[in-house]
Amino acid sequence: MTFANLPLFAALGGLAVLAVLLFALQRLRARHIEVTVPTTLFWLAAVRDAPVRVFWQRFRHWLAYLLILLICSLLWLAWAGPELASRHAVDFHVLFLDGSAHTARASDRERAVAALKADLQTLPTDRREVIWGGAFNLKVLRAGEDALLLDQRLASLTPAEAPSALRDQLRLLGIDGAWPERVELVIYGRAPVAAETLAALRGGVRVTRGVDYPAAERGAGIVAFGVAPAASAHPERVDALLEVAPAPGGAPDVTLRLDGAALPAERLTRLPAGPGRALFAVRDLPAASGVLEARVVDERGVAVDDVARLRLPTRRVLPIALAPDLPAPVAKVVGDVVAADAGLTRADEAAAAVVVRRAGDDFGGARPALELTAADAQAHAFVIDYVEDGAGEAQQLLHRRVAAMGLDQIDATRLANALQRPLSATVRPAPRRRVAVWEALFGAAYNFTDSRAFPVFVARAFRYLAAQPIWHPYLAAGRPLPAPLGGAAWLGRPAPALDALGSEFAPPRAGPVGGGAQPGGAPWIAALLSEEVTTGHQGVALPAYSSPGGVGARDFAMWLALLALALLAGEWVLHQRGLIP
Amino acid sequence: MPAAPTFEALFDPQFLTALRPFSLRARRVPLAGRPADQMSRQRGAGVEFADYTPYTPGDDLRHLDWNIYRRLGRLFVRVFEERRDLPVYLLVDRSKSMYLETPPRIEAGLKTALALAAIALGQHDTVRLLHFSEGLRLDAATASGTAGLPGLARRLAALSEQAGTDLAGAVRDLAGRRLRRGLLVVVSDFFDPAGIDAVVGELALCRHRLLLVCLVNEADAEPTARADLRGDVRLRDCESGAALDVTITPAVLARYRAAHAAFRARLAEFAVERGAGLAHVDTAEDVLPQVTALFADGALRV
Repeated sequence: MTFANLPLFAALGGLAVLAVLLFALQRLRARHIEVTVPTTLFWLAAVRDAPVRVFWQRFRHWLAYLLILLICSLLWLAWAGPELASRHAVDFHVLFLDGSAHTARASDRERAVAALKADLQTLPTDRREVIWGGAFNLKVLRAGEDALLLDQRLASLTPAEAPSALRDQLRLLGIDGAWPERVELVIYGRAPVAAETLAALRGGVRVTRGVDYPAAERGAGIVAFGVAPAASAHPERVDALLEVAPAPGGAPDVTLRLDGAALPAERLTRLPAGPGRALFAVRDLPAASGVLEARVVDERGVAVDDVARLRLPTRRVLPIALAPDLPAPVAKVVGDVVAADAGLTRADEAAAAVVVRRAGDDFGGARPALELTAADAQAHAFVIDYVEDGAGEAQQLLHRRVAAMGLDQIDATRLANALQRPLSATVRPAPRRRVAVWEALFGAAYNFTDSRAFPVFVARAFRYLAAQPIWHPYLAAGRPLPAPLGGAAWLGRPAPALDALGSEFAPPRAGPVGGGAQPGGAPWIAALLSEEVTTGHQGVALPAYSSPGGVGARDFAMWLALLALALLAGEWVLHQRGLIP
Repeated sequence: MPAAPTFEALFDPQFLTALRPFSLRARRVPLAGRPADQMSRQRGAGVEFADYTPYTPGDDLRHLDWNIYRRLGRLFVRVFEERRDLPVYLLVDRSKSMYLETPPRIEAGLKTALALAAIALGQHDTVRLLHFSEGLRLDAATASGTAGLPGLARRLAALSEQAGTDLAGAVRDLAGRRLRRGLLVVVSDFFDPAGIDAVVGELALCRHRLLLVCLVNEADAEPTARADLRGDVRLRDCESGAALDVTITPAVLARYRAAHAAFRARLAEFAVERGAGLAHVDTAEDVLPQVTALFADGALRV
């Protein structure tokens, strides 16, 4: 047996103290009331065989003592809130109400809420809390708060188009010291639990399921939706790829719309896919920030996975202008790189986004420039100027990723021997972006221009200087951002820690993603893309939740109090009949 | 503290009038004394024929029975039973226990004593008031005739509360005095610390006929009739002042009742053995019906 309001030792200790206290009180209550009588003759005879109580021996009313001890003990136990011992003794209950796409059906949600409310009645208020697990976890009922508050707080919450954040909650439960030793997390909803997640739980954490749902009817759903550079190598177009999990026995019926306009069905190319999957591709979509929407017809499954949207990236050919006074060899090797890269094109000075010039030359004005400098004028062979962003993020990226500009592929030792100087690279803040390189490295005396590193270095330098935007091939709700593409994607991106646990940023739900933006302010758009939601996968089978003890503390306390009341009435009757003093 | 009844309260004409039909009848009163209504062993002048006896010179010729002489030719004289008075000694308890409760036992005791005195005086017996507490006190005056009743009532009303009870000593003292044999009426609660055995032991040695008037109330036999006798109590004897701590339990109550029943049984047993009269007068009830009950056929034979 456990107690809702007191630890076991405190409840038992209280009983012992009560017994001692009542014993003392029984002794104290032997305060005699003086009564004058005509004679004590008969009383003397009466007490001759029953001497008056003296000190310890005076206490003789065991019936009265036991009765009052029983009554007080029952009241004490009622206050302590006894609970019948359950098979799994638990110190704290976390009731997890799934508000994710897994429990998007209204019937599922209503069953979950009803079961949650019923179980709340059986748990002590200070040893349970309720978590709403939607796009993120939200504590809707704290320990100690009355269950009556739940309805009002749930009224403003609707299931999110997002996979369950249950795993995050389980990770929190794994933090030692933050929770009582024995915690039971009860899931109300269809949120799945992966076997590896359960395996990673600390001892003392138990996961059960509060509602036993029947297997959901499976329908069709979109499980993957993303873009990739066009297979046609067109620099300003992308291909869209769509993966659908069709309903069993059904063929997927897919439609696509770009910026609201339906795409012709013939644009949709079906690709070979694995069993139970249908893979489609749409080629050469204009990479101009349009919104691409895919929709699959489904009348059986959940609706949240029937539509997926994404924003197409912005891709432009980068115009490059070469200063006319560049040495011919230099102009040739740089021009060859521009000609070979479909994303680059030669342009005149006015149309250029990036210029190539000698240091000190005013060709291109304030445009970002790849400058050739004299070896004597600059200590480092490579100097990369960046624009201070205030957070120091750009500097950190450059320091970490400068090698990714292609410099790691340079045969630095050979060049250094040839130049009789060490080769080095540095980054520094400046008003505008600029990459400065020793002009001598472009000379025929060295093999830099002949190396594999040279075109990589030049192409990446141009894209860095042009500050072309990056883009992501897909954005899935609840999943970390994939590696970016385009622009200076080779720089990667900082790995921001969303919380103390080091969580990476992930779009919390399907829809526009705050913060991430295309040029012009259009936000990225995330889609659900959850195979578990579409297939109704529930992860590992979990034991069903059983109410601790069956009889709640409140019910038990009420019965104990009633019993105490009955005994009190019995004592009164005995007292009236003179059977106890 | 409850007060004893005043003379006005005691000398109630209606109460006394109601007692007129009753009489005290002794089987034989001792010789001597004054002529009165009680039968005596003395033969002589009187109105009640008793016997015939052969005439001897000197006998009163008025008592010769000539009818017998005519039939038998011999002289016989009629002898008559002489009627004498019965000395009635009212021994009234004045101890504190008689004055304790409400109403006090002394109230019923004095009324009972006055009633018996009125009956005795109404039949020309003599009444003498005795009272006791820790010692015997004799009233010097003896009342006789109904004219003496008011004076006796005044003396009864004048009795005041004394100290403890020594009934056995008082009876012993009384027995030692050379009083004419008569009827000793003991009006008391009989709560003598020496115990009922000591009391009846002394009463057994007493030469007088006995009428024991035991003043009782409900709480004597059943202590739970008193609301304050519950739980742990300190009983204080009103006479000795001694305290007795008692935890009143069903077992103690049972033993108390047994002790009290033994007390009453001993008194009743003594009355039967001695041929004494025994009356229990409930102090909470009206005295007149209880006295009337003593005189079931109009006379109380002692």
